[in-house]
Amino acid sequence: MAPASFFMFKYLPTALISTLLFGLLCKASGQVAKRASISEPSSSVQQGITLAKGGHCKEALPLLKKATLRAGDKDLKRQAGFAGIRCAMTENQPDAAIEFVRFLNREFPHDPEVLYISVHTYSDLSTRASQELAMRAPNSYQAHKLNAESLELQGKWDAAAKEYKLVLEQNPRLPGIHFLLGRLLLSKPDPAPSAAEEAKREFQQELEIDPSNAGAEYVLGELARQQNELPDAIAHFSRATKLDAGFGDAFLGLGAALISTKKFSEAISPLETAVKLEPQNPGAHYNLAIALSRAGRKQEAEREFAVHRQMTQKGGPGQESQQATQPENPN
Amino acid sequence: MDGLISQQSRSLLSFSRRSFLRGIAGSLAFSGLSRFVRALPDAVYPFNEISPAVSGITWVHTAGKSPERYLPETTGAGCAFLDYDNDGWMDIYLVNSGKCDFLNPNPPLRNALYRNSRDGTFTDVTETARVGAGGFGQGVAVGDYDGDGFPDLYLTQYGRSILYHNNGDGTFTDVTEKAGLAAPGWASSAVWFDYDNDGRLDLFVCQFVEFSKSLNKSCGPGEEGKHGYCIPRLYQPMPSWLFHNNGDGTFTDVSKASGIGKYPGKAWGAVATDVNNDGLLDLFVGNDTVPNFLFKNVGQGRFEEIATQAGVAYSADGRARSGMGVDSADFNEDGWMDLFVANIDREMFSIYQNNHDETFDDLAGPTGIGAATRLMSGWGLKFFDYDNDGNLDLFLANGNPDDLIESLHNQVKYQEPLMLFRNTGKSFQNVSAESGPAFAKPLSARGMAIGDFDNDGAVDVLVSVNDGAPMLLRNNVGSQNHWLGIRLVGKKSNPDAIGARINYQAGDLKRSRMKVGGGSYLSSHDPRIVLGIGKRPKIDWLEIKWPQPGGAVERFTELPVNRYITIVEGKGKWG
Repeated sequence: MAPASFFMFKYLPTALISTLLFGLLCKASGQVAKRASISEPSSSVQQGITLAKGGHCKEALPLLKKATLRAGDKDLKRQAGFAGIRCAMTENQPDAAIEFVRFLNREFPHDPEVLYISVHTYSDLSTRASQELAMRAPNSYQAHKLNAESLELQGKWDAAAKEYKLVLEQNPRLPGIHFLLGRLLLSKPDPAPSAAEEAKREFQQELEIDPSNAGAEYVLGELARQQNELPDAIAHFSRATKLDAGFGDAFLGLGAALISTKKFSEAISPLETAVKLEPQNPGAHYNLAIALSRAGRKQEAEREFAVHRQMTQKGGPGQESQQATQPENPN
Repeated sequence: MDGLISQQSRSLLSFSRRSFLRGIAGSLAFSGLSRFVRALPDAVYPFNEISPAVSGITWVHTAGKSPERYLPETTGAGCAFLDYDNDGWMDIYLVNSGKCDFLNPNPPLRNALYRNSRDGTFTDVTETARVGAGGFGQGVAVGDYDGDGFPDLYLTQYGRSILYHNNGDGTFTDVTEKAGLAAPGWASSAVWFDYDNDGRLDLFVCQFVEFSKSLNKSCGPGEEGKHGYCIPRLYQPMPSWLFHNNGDGTFTDVSKASGIGKYPGKAWGAVATDVNNDGLLDLFVGNDTVPNFLFKNVGQGRFEEIATQAGVAYSADGRARSGMGVDSADFNEDGWMDLFVANIDREMFSIYQNNHDETFDDLAGPTGIGAATRLMSGWGLKFFDYDNDGNLDLFLANGNPDDLIESLHNQVKYQEPLMLFRNTGKSFQNVSAESGPAFAKPLSARGMAIGDFDNDGAVDVLVSVNDGAPMLLRNNVGSQNHWLGIRLVGKKSNPDAIGARINYQAGDLKRSRMKVGGGSYLSSHDPRIVLGIGKRPKIDWLEIKWPQPGGAVERFTELPVNRYITIVEGKGKWG
């Protein structure tokens, strides 16, 4: 990246936050001025806001921090919080910025403006951290890994894979990288016919390095299930559930694979766990209902079918509503 | 490091393990359909396309596409093989769009009846036969509802459907009002079958959704601001119809009394089959964006809906899919009727093996049909033995309903190729790539009918194309094996012998077939059944188990091969 654009990226987020906050401060400045003489503590906070508005952030910050400690006028606190974020970011004081964000969220929970600014603040802090990583340790595996993840998100699959491979060249036994490579291979929109096999090898290598990677076990289970290698699928899903007792999808995969092998009674327990872990997942209820029904437990099956029916008919999580009001394209 | 600098925050925010894990189920190991057909001479391909210049079928379907994107524009239409003049040669019927509340074409559109000229060509006899219809047509179902020996036509339409009675002299009469079969609404597929075993053909008519010009929804915009066809999820489901044949040219709407009317759906395809071998014909119905139906016939004119418990209503993860074409056949030769449903792209089609206990297992994964159909949208389809080796193969006609789909999903195509799966007796092999250039041609296929138009024992295929010319495919390989074609005529049982069981043995080959009602999408098939026996020289015996109320089993030996015969119920001999 050219220096000019690097500079722009470095300061753009801060500039954006400043602009956003400036608008908020101006909107409330009349109210703040009116209330300035009501009490002395408020007066110092108001002074901090005025200083921040004038760009005197260094001086403003100590005064604005007082607002977070004192009880007082809510609107004034709100304005002080916004001004505090702006000044903390301008003065490159991330801890202070986070404190102001926390303060605003504590005092004004669910306030859309507060939430909006929170997103931008965290995003800006995240960008700064990534810039620092790029500047301080551009050849570190962490920098390559982060870059790979970012490239993957942009759909630059080959470039991302190259970055992951660079990480592995530096650290051949670094946990997680083979998993990410396998994931990348399966996520590509036009996978080569060999993609599944290549991905499988990556997940297997991951498990050689890190036998505790439940995700790798799970994906190997899914791959095996789709290739109708059901005993393998069951083994992988079982290991995934043992490695991560909160991994609902792995319990569901195990139950579904057991159903496919007609082990209906055995399927019930993992599917019950899946339902407990993911009560809003219609697929878990559906598979449990099928297992119960085919194991002869018809009444319990009917209950689960009813739950599934209710969830799918009402457009519960994981199922789009049939009564959708917003038109959409067929696919 | 441009990726790192510009995008890292997004990556950390949105790339969760959960979303990845959810996504992989649909993205694994799709090897893609080869569009490259092996360079073989035409005659060697299993199927070759008969051009309109050769066949004389110059009629073209007009979808009536409008900027408003009225949904029925993208769903039609159907086609049929039928022998309307009883000359022993299959004629062809093709359904078109037409006048309705959102379309008033000038000049008017019409359906087409083509008479088989017995020399590989067809002659348009629509005007003489008076079967042009003119409404917004969808499908066609052929059946001899009055038992006079001549097949009648039921045309489903958006608006009002039509029953054409075959006068037996090459003409038809619209008897819809007298019969009480107008079925106002959006009718799609229809199936003639005898649900109460009284020896008369009743009629099941699928209804899609509640629709009118004013209810049409606008979706999109897509590329260049164009609007797309909306997903059917946005429309209200409607119950289908069941009409009981009174035997006097009239029908009674028994939708509510039978239990079928209790279930609003969005029905596209239907097949009448017997899933539990109790002698009562059940109905499997493909629904779009809502669960499929399996109406189990419990006798006394009543049906129970058992699709969920049977495992055929939803995908394996409990989601309703976009069920469209359906069929039923005993593809694994275990004596129990299996099911098939085609869905839309990224849903995979399902091939359901009957477990003999009113439950089914989806074998889409193990058979490879799931992976092969992952990006396809399927409509017309049929199990039949194209190479007459004694195993039931599978033909699929495909095409995405959304003409803007390629701007939304780069892997999915609007026009899609036909597919052919050969049943080896152990598995299904995707033989599309070596079955002829027709299988490499992108199409907006909808209806699909099977029929032997040249009477060579090799079952041919007719594919109707949305907004395009139909495709007639001649089968070049079926006649390389031995076969026997049978036409069944019911006397006590229903005239078309829907529900009849045919068992036969040729040396080591023992097979069972059922004559189902309907199957595919909006289409109707050659009523004759071709029994393939491979290279075996003769059929040792053939048994017909006639449907109730006949119910008798007739056994035949000393049968010819490589020709068609007619078996009339109760005669004890073939002719």
